[in-house]
Order: sequence, then C-alpha cells, then structure tokens
Amino acid sequence: MAVHDTESGGNGFEPKILVFACNWCSYAGADLAGVSRLQMPANCRVIRVMCSARVRPEFVITALSKGLDGVLVLGCHPGDCHYSEGNYFTRRRGLLLQKLLQYVGIEPERFQVRWISASEGAKFAETIGQVTDQIKALGPNRSQNGMQPAEPGDS
Amino acid sequence: MQDKLREIVRKMLSDGDIEYFVGYCQGSEAHRIVPCFVTEESEVEKLVWGPLCLQNLSKYVLRTRDLDGKVGVLVKGCDARALVELIKQHQLERDDFVVVGVACEGQVDPRKLERELGVPLEQVGGIEDGGDEFLVHVGEETRKVAKEAVLRDKCFFCKHPPSFDCDYTVGEPEPFTIESDRSEFAGVEELEELPLEERRAFWRKQFERCIRCNACREVCYACYCTECLFDRNVPRWLDRPPLLEENEIYHLIRAVHLAGRCIDCGECERVCPVGIPLSRLYKKVQKDIAELFDYQAGMELETVPPLVNFDLDDQDPFL
Repeated sequence: MAVHDTESGGNGFEPKILVFACNWCSYAGADLAGVSRLQMPANCRVIRVMCSARVRPEFVITALSKGLDGVLVLGCHPGDCHYSEGNYFTRRRGLLLQKLLQYVGIEPERFQVRWISASEGAKFAETIGQVTDQIKALGPNRSQNGMQPAEPGDS
Repeated sequence: MQDKLREIVRKMLSDGDIEYFVGYCQGSEAHRIVPCFVTEESEVEKLVWGPLCLQNLSKYVLRTRDLDGKVGVLVKGCDARALVELIKQHQLERDDFVVVGVACEGQVDPRKLERELGVPLEQVGGIEDGGDEFLVHVGEETRKVAKEAVLRDKCFFCKHPPSFDCDYTVGEPEPFTIESDRSEFAGVEELEELPLEERRAFWRKQFERCIRCNACREVCYACYCTECLFDRNVPRWLDRPPLLEENEIYHLIRAVHLAGRCIDCGECERVCPVGIPLSRLYKKVQKDIAELFDYQAGMELETVPPLVNFDLDDQDPFL
C-alpha cells in the first residue's frame, strides 16, 4: 500500500474524481480500506451503485463533460458479480466507452474501470492513489466545451 | 422499374393486403424526392424510384405501428438492415408489414453532385441511372457524371442482410458494387492517428457548430424511444436551452446509444444543417464493435446485439 502525499502533483492541482463503487464488492472494499485506516488521497467522491452495470455511459460522459477530472468505475471481479453477470456488461461497455472518449480527445486515464472485491481494501486504496496520481499528472480536464475547469480543492 | 413498383402497390392495395404504402414521390423540385404515403389506388401513380430516393423509409413503418391494417414499405438493401434491427429490438413484428425490396444501383449524394456539376441543384431536371455513370439532365443538355464522384459514401460499401426475405421485389436486389480504392473506416482511422490534442480540437470545432435542431435524432431509425432522454425533465440530462458546452454530451450520448445499432444509413449526416461529420463519430463505435465483438448491425436476425451479450473470454483490460 502506498501512502500518497496530497500536496504532490503539478501546481498544487487537486483533481475531482468521481468513483462509482458497486454495493457488493467495491463499496465493501472501500469500507475495509476505511476501517483499516489506510491512507488515501481525498480527491475522490464515491457514489454507491447496486452494480457496476448500473453506471450508464451517460453518467461518465456527462461527468467528464461538465468538468470532473476523472471517473472511476469499480465492480466485482468477473465471475463474482452479485447479479451473476452485471460486470460482464460493464466490461464491454467500459471498453467501448474508453475508446470513444479517446477518439474525441479525452485521455484514457480519465475514465477507468477496475475490479475490486470486498476483501481488497488495500487494492482499493492503491487504485485510488494510482488514479489520483495519473490524473494529477494530466492536469485539469479540458474536455468540456468552453466551461471553466473545476476549481482546485473545491468540494 | 417504376411501373413494376406501381403495379405491385396497386395490386396490394386492391387486394386489401395493405392499408398504407410508404414510398417516394416527387418533391417541390426535380432533385428533391420525398417520402410519401399512398392509401388509395388512384395515388399509386405518384410513386417514383430513382437514384435520389435517399430516405430510409423504415422509420415510417415505426410510426404506423399503432394504425389499423398493414403497412407496405419500399426498402433499399441498406434500409432492410434497419428493419432487421427493428425486428431484433422488438419494435416491429415481421408479419406487421409488407416489404417491397428494390434493386438499387447506388444513390446520389446531392452535396457531391452540386460540387461536381458546378451548377445549383435547382437546375437539375432529373437523374437517370446509366450503369457506371449517372445521366443528369441540366437544362437542355444531359450530362454524364461518373458514379464514383457523386455516390453517397455508404454506397461504396453496400451491404444487404443476407437472410432477410422481401415479400415482393422490384428488379433483383443485390448489393451494389463499384470498383474503388476507398476503405470503409478510412475517415475514422485518419482521426485515430492524430495526436489526442488534435482530435479534441477537431471534435470541439465540429460540436461547436451544432444548433441542436435534433434532426439527426428525428431521422434516425434507431431513435424510437417514446420519450427521448434528452427531452426528459427528471432527470434532466441537458439544460432546456441548447447550451454550447452541452453539445458534446448530446453527441457522445447519441453515439453510445447507437452502439451496436447504427447501420450507417448516413441519414443523420445528410440532414445535418451545419454539416457535422456524424458518420465519423458513429463509425468509430461500429469499428470498435466489429473488432472487439465481431458484430455488424442489421445483418442477421439471429445474432444477439453486442451490448446485451457477453463472452466470458472478452478482452479485460481492467484487472
């Protein structure tokens, strides 16, 4: 597990990252990371969804276009879905959406999907750290059309 | 061919097989062919067929779902793909409509034609098919225009659904072929090779021009939702006034909604009043779906659409 310095990154830029976590695995994983007191950067806002397949591509597109710096979708490992097959759909959609976003000029790091189980608190903390670092390195999201970038540190 | 078509429609109407027929008729100017609805035998003479019958009429079959009686529709091979998808997506039952397939020798792109002729389209008095070329009547003279120069982009890659049976055919509908060195996804690949920044700049410039007239949505065969999510109040995806900064959301959401369903009929791009190259956006998704999931929309009735399906061995970059 890595400890992340929230002050690191260019120009003190603090990205806003939206995390969708599936209720059954990833949210429990986040909980575990919390009760284990693992250190994580505080750039993420977590939204709990019943399944990673609940995350419509519209959510991601709108979030990125309205100025969030990154979107992370977390689900159960393939094969472990509480609803048997939800995350297989997420996998197909995620792949397509990532390619489409890249095509219109949005960096692939800004939209990521990861599988995190309920027991992987450490992986959750690590993923959050990794993604935050990647997005910090990219700088503010400028995909939106003439909109002001999200204010650093604004919550 | 026109006569054969009229004969078939007249017979269907008089036998009571259909109540309505959706076909093409002459519009306000010679170069404008518009969709028309024939309900009486006396109206059959209105029907026309030619290289300017551009619209995808399957959209109108959807609109007649709630009417009593069967509807007949004239389809080109490419439009039949829309019907295949609509049946697959449970929007239509095959028995609810009568299909008249027509042999198509390529359709003219009016924008290309205008450029090629160098005269306004208003002066065009009619177009006939002449094998490798189109015979265009301009004023007194007849000008020969090579098909290669004025065909719609999609006609270079004509695909018919192989297993779809028409009830009647006019001529022998076969996929149209033309010799050319174009590749189907050239426009997409060209953009893919650009650096990210340039791609962003390219699309931003395109989306900035959008006036949100919704023409692309209205003309799209796949947009059959009774209430479009863009028109909803709860949740409100887009602000009521067409804000510039939301154009990107509009177009990207449309692109993902059409994923696996877009048959590249090219209608969106044709009706776009500001000329946004929408096919280049939707074709990207088509290309990815073909590469990743080996699927092509509108070709077979039996295959499962890619996004309501999965394979345990799908590519997984998310571990």
